[in-house]
Amino acid sequence: MPIFRPEDETRVRELLAAMERPVELVVAHGPEETPLPGARDVDFAAETERVVRELCELSPLLSLRVEQQPDGYERYPAVGVLPEGRDEGIRYYGLPYGYELGSLIGAALEAGRSSSSLSAESLARLEALDHDVAIDVFVTPT
Amino acid sequence: MKCALASPRVRAAGIEATEFPTLADAMEVYAVPRIVVNGVPQWDGSVPERVFLDRVLAPGFG
Repeated sequence: MPIFRPEDETRVRELLAAMERPVELVVAHGPEETPLPGARDVDFAAETERVVRELCELSPLLSLRVEQQPDGYERYPAVGVLPEGRDEGIRYYGLPYGYELGSLIGAALEAGRSSSSLSAESLARLEALDHDVAIDVFVTPT
Repeated sequence: MKCALASPRVRAAGIEATEFPTLADAMEVYAVPRIVVNGVPQWDGSVPERVFLDRVLAPGFG
């Protein structure tokens, strides 16, 4: 079964048409943690790759690269979102199903902007940052 | 994620909690979205951009 229904596909194509620069999506495979009981009937790695592959077919500015345990990835499966192929430390860990597919599309859209959607004040504060910050956001698909 | 795009000092990850239960347990994930900064659990839920930056850029996280 395709990831996107025809009506969803049309909508996602329209959204992605706003992209202004290329974004590379890196699917990283490697050893996986045993998930909660009941989830084992899903091949997380294969499904993650399928989701990202189908998403990349919806915009000429999206491209896919598949890697085995690349540097800079902490767990698997993972998707790296690289604006113009540059690794700026943006990751999604796990299978981007459900709401999280929307989050991945949102990440691709933001990375595809030529200028940030943050306020000027926020950008100034981030520019003045003098220490490293790692932000992890735990989510669920439903 | 917008912060990571805007600053080389910031990295951002979304983590699917049910696929990584050991890590989710360690980060005390009982509700989502659960925000963790530099490996320390912080808060649950969405907040406005300004509040988000107030929290993640606060001294002590670096």
